[in-house]
Amino acid sequence: MSASTTHNPGHRRTWLQIAIYGAVCLTIFLVPTILDNDFLLNKYSRYLVFGILAIALSLSWGYCGILNLGQAASFGLGCYCMAMALKLRTVPVHTGDDGLPDFMVWNNVTELPWFWVPFHSLPFALFAGIAVPTVLAALVGWFMFRARITGVYVAIITLASLVVVNLLIIDQQRYTGGFNGITDLAQLELFGLTFDAYSRNSYYLVASVLAACLFAALAITKSKTGLILQAIRDHEDRVRYFGYDVAHYKIFAFSASAAIAGIAGMLYTIVMEFASPTFLDVPLSLSVVIWCAVGGRQSLLGAALGAIVVTGTQGALSDSGIFLQSWTLLMGMIFVASVLFLPKGLAGLAELAGERLRRLGRDTPPPVKTDVLGPVREGEGLA
Amino acid sequence: MTGYLALDEVSVSFDGFRAVDGLSFSVEEGELRCLIGPNGAGKSTALDMICGKVRPTAGTIFLQGRALNRLEEHEIARAGIGRKFQVPSVFRELTVRQNLDVAHSRQVGVWANIARFGHHADRDGLEKLAELVGLEDRLEVPAGHLSHGQTQWLEIAMLVAQDPRVILMDEPTAGMTVQETRKTADLFNRLKGKHTLIVVEHDMGFIKEIGDVISVMHQGRLLAEGSVGEIEQHAEVRAAYLGSGGISGA
Repeated sequence: MSASTTHNPGHRRTWLQIAIYGAVCLTIFLVPTILDNDFLLNKYSRYLVFGILAIALSLSWGYCGILNLGQAASFGLGCYCMAMALKLRTVPVHTGDDGLPDFMVWNNVTELPWFWVPFHSLPFALFAGIAVPTVLAALVGWFMFRARITGVYVAIITLASLVVVNLLIIDQQRYTGGFNGITDLAQLELFGLTFDAYSRNSYYLVASVLAACLFAALAITKSKTGLILQAIRDHEDRVRYFGYDVAHYKIFAFSASAAIAGIAGMLYTIVMEFASPTFLDVPLSLSVVIWCAVGGRQSLLGAALGAIVVTGTQGALSDSGIFLQSWTLLMGMIFVASVLFLPKGLAGLAELAGERLRRLGRDTPPPVKTDVLGPVREGEGLA
Repeated sequence: MTGYLALDEVSVSFDGFRAVDGLSFSVEEGELRCLIGPNGAGKSTALDMICGKVRPTAGTIFLQGRALNRLEEHEIARAGIGRKFQVPSVFRELTVRQNLDVAHSRQVGVWANIARFGHHADRDGLEKLAELVGLEDRLEVPAGHLSHGQTQWLEIAMLVAQDPRVILMDEPTAGMTVQETRKTADLFNRLKGKHTLIVVEHDMGFIKEIGDVISVMHQGRLLAEGSVGEIEQHAEVRAAYLGSGGISGA
């Protein structure tokens, strides 16, 4: 009998992963204890929200090979659901007669539209912020994956869906605030706590949700369903002949990813104190792909850290006087370099370092053949 | 049509070319049927039609009297058909253990599988299976790092893990050494009876070791059917395929 009955390396790896994920989450939680600056905490909360968004894409792209370029649509719908609820809770001085949102008054809307009415209830808004993006993704996914659309066509369809949602929101100014978005929001009050954007409460809220999403996504990837998603990424057709309905699995990954993106969107509204069509535009959607590529799309934590590092660097560069003009160029170079030299992103680098350390620890060096196909397969994923 | 698995006047055309043309044959439960024929005879296409990869343009395929034509690939798999492809098809980025786990598909639903962790429902079984095909030391190795012969065996092991009623094998010994081929023949003889097998092969030595009944295909049609001895004596088969030397000489 092989030795693996006594110690299964797969399980050891899982526990190590849980420990590392936990340690990172703990570090994130400890930031406010050493940093007493509400402005910076707000900025960091924003980066963490992007981290959640990257986890969402890692789940669909990294684990199931679905390159979703419309991730910002799910994110933005979450943003707007939260903004609608918070708008209706604004103190009357900011809204028109009978609690009608101010921009509706300016647009000569006299009555609250039917789809705004349920947002008086906060629980409904929280539900909608997850359900609306999930149902939309399931619908788009149903059409795409039943028809066995793959690869670059998925990227095109998702990107097009994003543009449609974006245009719809900009066009329906009477109901959505159009270009201006929804501003002048109340602060979220939940469980007797007030979540001021510039406060520890909000930071802890975002950090907790990040941890929850990270571990929930990890649980999915460690389940048999997660294994089948990876098998689909690897060789979709082969999976069918074992009796799995590939479309079901893809719709699941696509929708679960949208749910997480919707949650991130709701948090973003809380942190930014407004919702805007720029929260669901193409540049943001493409940025998520870059974060995942830099951090390592096949690692949930890698993707999250990729988002935090890239947006953090972006923030720092654009703030500094020297790089005021050239920071986008610099970011582009970092992206190109990471795609060329780190096909598995920062997570791949960490894994390589871990492997080296382990080999130094033991004196038996098993010649682990590095996957020479790595960069090529990466290219296939994009195509 | 009678028989456990039966093809009834099945045809398929690709751009006007009839790859399979009115093919009929049936296989009994627990039988190991060899399917031979020259290149382009339509052997692989016949397997493709049984597992749903290719839809017949005419005719019907029955498994225990149930028509498979209208089912999707995964439904055909659930009905009890497993397929090994000519080009070894495994999940190259997943480890050998994960490959076997995926193949072990008692539960096929998303929600049924989401609460299943560790996948050690049948861990001992999977490890015994890996031992059977000599991959017990390579369980944690990505399948992409295996040699060609090992990849072939991994896919065969995956089919055993899937445990379908009917196993379709497309050139299982291609690229294997003589010893590996012999070991595969042993394995197939053990699978016979428990599973119904259809094996497409070119290696006549291998066929002699495993085959009961041989079906010979030629130009998309069934040319002959019978035991090794009968096929060797069959004049048309000799002309079309085997040459004057018979099976032993091929």
